[in-house]
Amino acid sequence: MDTKQLLTEVKARFNHNSAKAYLKDKYESKLCVADQGGLWKITPELIAAVNSFTSDSIIMLDSYSNPVKVNRTNLLVKLQKTYSDVMEQWHNEWTTLEKAR
Amino acid sequence: MSKGVLLFAFNSDTVDYMAMAVATAKRANQYLNLPVTVVTDESTDMSKYDYDFDHVLYQTADKSNYTIEDNVWINKGRYNAYNLTPYDETLLIDTDYLINSDTLLKPFELYDDFMCHNRTSYLMIPDHYQELMSDHSFPTLWATVIYFKKTSKTKSIFECMQMVQENYMHYQQLYNMTVPSYRNDFALTIAVRIVHGQTDDVSVYIPWNLVHVGKNTQVYRDSDTKYTIVYDNWKNGKIRKEYNIVEGTDFHMMNKKNFMELV
Repeated sequence: MDTKQLLTEVKARFNHNSAKAYLKDKYESKLCVADQGGLWKITPELIAAVNSFTSDSIIMLDSYSNPVKVNRTNLLVKLQKTYSDVMEQWHNEWTTLEKAR
Repeated sequence: MSKGVLLFAFNSDTVDYMAMAVATAKRANQYLNLPVTVVTDESTDMSKYDYDFDHVLYQTADKSNYTIEDNVWINKGRYNAYNLTPYDETLLIDTDYLINSDTLLKPFELYDDFMCHNRTSYLMIPDHYQELMSDHSFPTLWATVIYFKKTSKTKSIFECMQMVQENYMHYQQLYNMTVPSYRNDFALTIAVRIVHGQTDDVSVYIPWNLVHVGKNTQVYRDSDTKYTIVYDNWKNGKIRKEYNIVEGTDFHMMNKKNFMELV
């Protein structure tokens, strides 16, 4: 018996709350990056903060609250690229799961 | 710097842990591209298993621990990982951890010498509470996945785990633990706190959740990394079957029989 048939036979319902929580767990791990000696949990706030400076070299607190001297442009590029890629995957998987019943 | 995975697999009368270790090792090779060393005891007939580990290390099995179902549970001696590992950087993983992605490579990119999970989530139970060692104690740290480099701090943590294991009754009373069996998770929690001066050092924690598949949950394999999770949700005295589909995510399976059906 394949899984689809099994789900029909037992009249299982898709749990959307659990799917949302699973996706959050999965993609939050992908939003953690190590760069220039720090660990960065990528959030829109972090990207905005890095983007708001103008100098090449800045000191930022990483996710472990360590002050890290970074090349701002290099960090910004990495944060933006990773964020875009991960959110694209997250959105695609959510769009698929959202249709399940 | 050499990198690798270390597994502990001592067969009991009820569970073939070496078969689980072989399955986990194959997936570690496939998704992490890392060599795997296994620790077992002389009674394990390695010729039965179709896999060449990087190293097979033999230890005497300590059979003095029991599960709540009264089965022998050979989980002691995990503190030996520090001395036994042939690698400079080691991922110490439970054999019932199903690897489906390269997520576990991330700790190698980070700059800390010891990391473990401090937060968990359960597939199908999104609002599950975080476990404490006892009602009024510390949150449990999880020995399911431990990343470590060989440093003096890491050595202290494993030595502390040994001290806790050897004096477990004392620590059970001290922390008012209600679970009678020895758990590596609790030994790790106590050891990490002692080494960090009873402070909460966040740099020890892997910055994402350890995902569990708990009881009342059955996992079905759809493809090599895609699974359907079916859960018996008890509501008003009735069971309602609920499901979810997960792909490319690692998880820890408490149901060993179900684990072997998937690999």
